Amino acid sequence: MSKDDFFIGWAEPPKVDRRFFLGTGLGLMAGTAATAAGVAALQRPVGPGDWNMGEIREWRGIATAEPYGMLRTLDLDGTPRTALLGCQGKCGVSAKIGALAGKPVIVKGSLIQRGPHTMIAVVDGLDWIREDTGGTIGDLAFPSPEPLFEATLNGEILDSKCWFGAMRPSEGKVHKSCASLCIRGGIPPAFYVKDRKDQKALIIMTPGGYGHNKDLLPFVADPVAITGQIQRFGDLFLLDAPVSAINRI
Amino acid sequence: MSHDYKAVQWTPFKKRFDLWMLAGIILYLIGFIVVGEVTQPPGESIHPVQAVMRATGTLAFLLLTFILCIGPLARMTDRFKPFLYNRRHLGVTTFLIGLIHAALVMMWYHGFSETNPFVSLFISNPRYESLSGFPFEVLGFGALLIMFLMAATSHDFWNANLGPGVWKALHMGVYVAYALLIAHVALGAIQFEKSPAYVGLLVAGATSVFALHVGTGMMTLRGRDRPETDGWLKVANVTDMEDARAKIVRPAKGEAIAIFRDGDKVSAVSNVCRHQGGPLGEGRIVDGCITCPWHGFQYRMEDGQSPPPFTEKIATYATRIIDGVVYVNPEPNVPGTPQTPSQIGATS
Repeated sequence: MSKDDFFIGWAEPPKVDRRFFLGTGLGLMAGTAATAAGVAALQRPVGPGDWNMGEIREWRGIATAEPYGMLRTLDLDGTPRTALLGCQGKCGVSAKIGALAGKPVIVKGSLIQRGPHTMIAVVDGLDWIREDTGGTIGDLAFPSPEPLFEATLNGEILDSKCWFGAMRPSEGKVHKSCASLCIRGGIPPAFYVKDRKDQKALIIMTPGGYGHNKDLLPFVADPVAITGQIQRFGDLFLLDAPVSAINRI
Repeated sequence: MSHDYKAVQWTPFKKRFDLWMLAGIILYLIGFIVVGEVTQPPGESIHPVQAVMRATGTLAFLLLTFILCIGPLARMTDRFKPFLYNRRHLGVTTFLIGLIHAALVMMWYHGFSETNPFVSLFISNPRYESLSGFPFEVLGFGALLIMFLMAATSHDFWNANLGPGVWKALHMGVYVAYALLIAHVALGAIQFEKSPAYVGLLVAGATSVFALHVGTGMMTLRGRDRPETDGWLKVANVTDMEDARAKIVRPAKGEAIAIFRDGDKVSAVSNVCRHQGGPLGEGRIVDGCITCPWHGFQYRMEDGQSPPPFTEKIATYATRIIDGVVYVNPEPNVPGTPQTPSQIGATS
């Protein structure tokens, strides 16, 4: 090596270093682009769903606080449809429905939707719900849960709000902390079922007709098997099972 | 060299390096986000916040892996010395990218609730007893804390005030941070993104860092058993010593010694630069001074002192030449002590 070949940071770099640096720099750039593309392309599909936060609107229907905050309203085609209710953050609103449960109400918020699953993220403040003095209950009364069958299902407990579209992706271990906070705060927990044919379904979880809360936290986002009763609740399905019926796989 | 402390001692090369670095970072982030978006199935898309979170997380891991490979690569080839010289900027940048990743995680996954995000970080996943279920976020938080300490003390001001030993020990914490980061990825993202390619990338990164360090470590150990004569260590035949370069000798006790030849003179000094512990014996004589290959710190051959106005001092050692063979006394002189060079061709 000649003196001219010796790199000193505070001096002008030798030609050989400049050539090497240019070649290595271009190589690293190409490698960077290829790595970025490769790592990004291999990500799992995150699922559909969207939260149109900017579009605040009102829905008319019947509210309930049990097992979770819900609104039964009429879809565009006139069929009754159930939307879960949540706040703007990681909290439920069932405790705030109070005396308006079972009455015609108007709820203000934005829609989170994934396929047939919907949640209304209600606006902050006190005016998110008010009695609809001109409304009638009619066909919108919440039905009693109708037992269908007993089953043991494999899947993952997650929070309905994120899975409906508030976050994408919204499952697995990386989402565990978020799902725990959501469920702890009162967002309805759901059981995301994947059967042997990889068919997927989402079932809202209840123990004995009431809402789960912190009791589920040890199992959130882990692969579990749950034995319980599947019930039809209007256009929703419920999985009625106590925490003792949950087993980590 | 010792100097008045500026935020950055800019040089034209450092500016060019940083431009390349920024271009690479922007290329990675944009490439990741765009490709991640277009490769999702129709009707599906990664949330923009989570896309940035993933892009910064993967980039921080890749950058830290590259940074840890620079040191051994620079020992193997001088061509990587420019990367070594600019490694500090890469390190601080990696910390900042990791900080963006962590801030997004804290806001997105641990925010928007009544629970304090920092409390949530430690309690939301309580499965500390499980390996596969372990709360991996805590590991990433630990790695980021170490990298913060390193970034905050990366300036020469801290090197000078903490002392090279403490500073070096503190910055060796990067290996703990990297180990935590490996565990963070293995117990976190890879538990969800199960593509074998991700596992391969993680293993390849960790293996590269480990193998390069073991390889250069073995190169270092190879010179330990040198024959002694009356307590003097044999260095090499004079004819095997390249002008303006050094041979490195590693005594059983104490620091490695760099024995330089400058024309017909031979002198020995500590191999450890007082700046960041760089291997002086891999440097060369420039303008009559021993010049560190890492950051260009200089010392006079005859007394181990940096030329005025600088004040760094390193230990000097006695040398002798018998029958064309150079020997060094492994007992160090007090740093800065003048030591007459051995004269090639003279009778010892």
